[in-house]
Amino acid sequence: MKESKLGDFEETVLLIVGILGEEAYAFKISEEFKTQLQRKVSIGAVHSTLNRLSEKGFLTSAMGQPTSERGGRRKRIYEITGAGYRALEISRDVKLSLWNRFPAFAGFKYHIG
Amino acid sequence: MDQKPPKLATHLLYFFLKHELREEVSGDLEEQFLHVLKEHSKARAVLNYWFQVINYMRPFALKHIRSTPMFFIMFRHNIIISLRTVFKNKTFSLINIGGLALGMTVSIFIGLWIFDEYSFNKHHQHYDRLVQVYRKHITPSSISVGSAVPGALGLELTESYPHLFEDVTMTFYRPNNQLITYNERTFNETGYFFQEDAPHLFTLNMLAGTRNALENPSNIILSESMGRKLFGTEDPMGKTVRVNTRVDLIVQGIYEDLPDNSTLGGAQYFLPLSLVYNKENPYVWDNYNVKMFALLKEGVSVSNASAAIKDVINNIQDESDRKRDLLLLPMKDWHLNSTFEDGIQVTSRRIQFIRLYTTIGIFILLIACINFMNLNTAQFQKRGKEVGVRKAMGSMRGEVAGQFLMESFMYALGALMISLIIVYALLPYFSALSGKEILGQWANPWFWLCCIGFCGMVALMAGGYPAVFLSSYSPINALKGKLRQGRANTRFRQGLVVFQFTISIVLIISTLTIDKQIQYAKDRPTGYEKEGLVTLIARSQSFADNAELLRSELIASGVVEEMGMSNYPLTNTLGSNGGFRTENTEEVPVYFNTIFVSPEYGKATKWDLADGRDFNREFGDEKNAIIISESAAEAFGLENPVGQQILSKNAFNDQSSFEVVGVVKDMIKGSPFDEPVPLILFPTRYTGFYSYVFVRLNPEVAVGTAISEMERIFKEVNPGHPFEYYFAEDQFMSKFRAEEQVGGLATLFSILAIIISCLGLFGLSAFMATQRVKEIGIRKVMGASITSLWALLSKDFGVLVLIACLISVPIGAYAMNSWLQDYEYRISLDWTVYGMSVLLSLFVAFATVSYHSIKASITNPVQSLRTE
Repeated sequence: MKESKLGDFEETVLLIVGILGEEAYAFKISEEFKTQLQRKVSIGAVHSTLNRLSEKGFLTSAMGQPTSERGGRRKRIYEITGAGYRALEISRDVKLSLWNRFPAFAGFKYHIG
Repeated sequence: MDQKPPKLATHLLYFFLKHELREEVSGDLEEQFLHVLKEHSKARAVLNYWFQVINYMRPFALKHIRSTPMFFIMFRHNIIISLRTVFKNKTFSLINIGGLALGMTVSIFIGLWIFDEYSFNKHHQHYDRLVQVYRKHITPSSISVGSAVPGALGLELTESYPHLFEDVTMTFYRPNNQLITYNERTFNETGYFFQEDAPHLFTLNMLAGTRNALENPSNIILSESMGRKLFGTEDPMGKTVRVNTRVDLIVQGIYEDLPDNSTLGGAQYFLPLSLVYNKENPYVWDNYNVKMFALLKEGVSVSNASAAIKDVINNIQDESDRKRDLLLLPMKDWHLNSTFEDGIQVTSRRIQFIRLYTTIGIFILLIACINFMNLNTAQFQKRGKEVGVRKAMGSMRGEVAGQFLMESFMYALGALMISLIIVYALLPYFSALSGKEILGQWANPWFWLCCIGFCGMVALMAGGYPAVFLSSYSPINALKGKLRQGRANTRFRQGLVVFQFTISIVLIISTLTIDKQIQYAKDRPTGYEKEGLVTLIARSQSFADNAELLRSELIASGVVEEMGMSNYPLTNTLGSNGGFRTENTEEVPVYFNTIFVSPEYGKATKWDLADGRDFNREFGDEKNAIIISESAAEAFGLENPVGQQILSKNAFNDQSSFEVVGVVKDMIKGSPFDEPVPLILFPTRYTGFYSYVFVRLNPEVAVGTAISEMERIFKEVNPGHPFEYYFAEDQFMSKFRAEEQVGGLATLFSILAIIISCLGLFGLSAFMATQRVKEIGIRKVMGASITSLWALLSKDFGVLVLIACLISVPIGAYAMNSWLQDYEYRISLDWTVYGMSVLLSLFVAFATVSYHSIKASITNPVQSLRTE
């Protein structure tokens, strides 16, 4: 069986892919990192993670349509698979259960949805 | 404005990026580039683009190894195969690499030694401009060159030639050890009397005080190590030390120790020359007793300055029959090129040594390379099938050759690493053996460059032949096993073995000859008895005043049989005079060693009186009596010298005519390899100043007891005078140091040479034995005996070694004869040396080869015949 655990960085990338939808390609994702997370990440690093996630089966990808920008070159658009969703859910649940057992925040309830 | 990302970065990206990723990645990166460009400067965007490209060098994005050029795969593959071969034949690889490592070790050592010789004095800041003044003494009969010049010359050069010399400094001609005392601590060390400018000229690195310290005649400067020895943890500056128990000087400077490979190396202190020469005792023209160094002005060439001062002395002292030309020797020549013969610079002994060792180094390396080559060729031949398969799979010839070259390069590299470790570990021992401090050049890039370059050369030499040879096989023949080695190939290999052994045997002959020659000179009758003779050094006039007392006290104590004195030691031939003649002859053109001795000198040294009588104090002063040596009698042409008159141009004991009262056998005071110097001894009572005291110990008393008893009496008679003693035997033996060094190194080299040669032979015989395993099996089945098989297998090599003997004996004889020509007292070469060398090498060679041939002959034929 393939490795199905998610690293922190992988999880973030996966989430951003989900958020970006049709615009989920390497450059945009690295831009999101900069704007949303104030974190500078090279495109190569993102691409490498995307590649890894695809190998794990959490993402699929297809080349998009050529556009006039970027010299008519196509983009590779990524999309979360069912396995990807499940992995995100598991990751969230595990963390939530941990948060709930964390005494300092014991009174809080998180409502996600 | 250019909106395109930098081309070079894009090229780089395309170079390593997987082809299928190119479109998306380049698109992304360009978008990023434009994005940055919108908000920031172009430079920032370009920089960012580069950053992004470099960040794409990740495993997932790189082109697969499979798609890189062939070369890299083959390279990796070659390394793997080479390593496998190394480990598959462990013994073989060990012999191969070990032999080469030994050879490399020797050459690295020799290289370091030569480097050290050539870097002599190089550390001096004024290396290019420092010169020493030499004097060429020209008389009608001879030309001699020496470094002794008159002190007044220094003043003249400073005053009249300021356009040539920036600075001139003088030192006392003969550096003597001085006793340096501080409180209770006394050391007998070498140092120099120098004029005040010397520290500037030789750019002493002052750790305390200034370079001007010698301007004051009451100052002394010490080396760092000397300071530590004398003062321990105290600060030496400003302290007073006593020199030779007479003069008190103040330490006004500490300099960093001079390196050993320096002309002044080992100088523990500098004293002001003005202690010796001053207003009361000025510099004069007619006393040749200083050495002179000068610093040329920038831009003045040595030859020009040399020519300009050539006639300075001749202009002042005009003598018709003799001239004293001056010349300058640049610092680069001081160490290696300061030997003159008939006024012409000739190859010095040091250069000869350098050449000798270079030759030996090259030869040993050659032997090792030949081994390597031989063993590799033999080894590679087993791999015909491999070549066949490679070629059948489509290997080009170059690739097969590359494989073999690669392999031999790896062997060479392995050997280099081993030898570097050995060199590192053995460097201190080698320094001791070669008699000087040799430094590893670990930080020198040239050293590493040489090592690696050398490795490549060896690999090419050793791997080149098999590479070319084996890669030429046609795959069909190779696979069919039709790889008969050509006759030429075998001959070639045999030739190499002969060559190796020739060199080894020549080295063995040299070693034996050198040993024999040294032993011969050691056993030479010296004309006096070395055993039980002790020399004491007298350093003050008070000593001479108490000498009679010392003698009677020593004899009374019973530990000493006799005590004699002289103005020169037994170990040199100083005190040289000419101008003697007999009644009926002209002046004899011979310089005699003339020394003054006390009447008991003969009894103390136990010289060998051949005729006549010894000096005797009962005969009073005997001012006219002399004793001559046999060679002196011969020089005078006297058959019965006793009673004959000898006349002298110069006065000795205020006399100029003497009667020979005795003849002694020649005393070997100078080099034990030279003809004895004719000797004339003049008697004196204990009035003059004698520096050397000879004490004959009572053989009944243990040496240790005798020395301590002597010291007690000595201190009693001469309070405050240091008790220094030397055994005559040790002093005599120290004359062999240079020869013993050569002998030691020659022994080492020849042992190494023979070991390396035998390693090669060992490997080769192993190879032959395995090749002929079937043949031996069949022979055994047919009834061959072990002895005959052993003879069969060993014979081939025996013949080769025999041929080597035949070649090497004449070479060795020629070389050693010319070496012996340097010695007047020498052995004549006879057949024992050659015979022993030949027997020794034959024995070693046979022993080596026999291991495998016997092993092969005693194998059960069932095993060898069933191998397939």
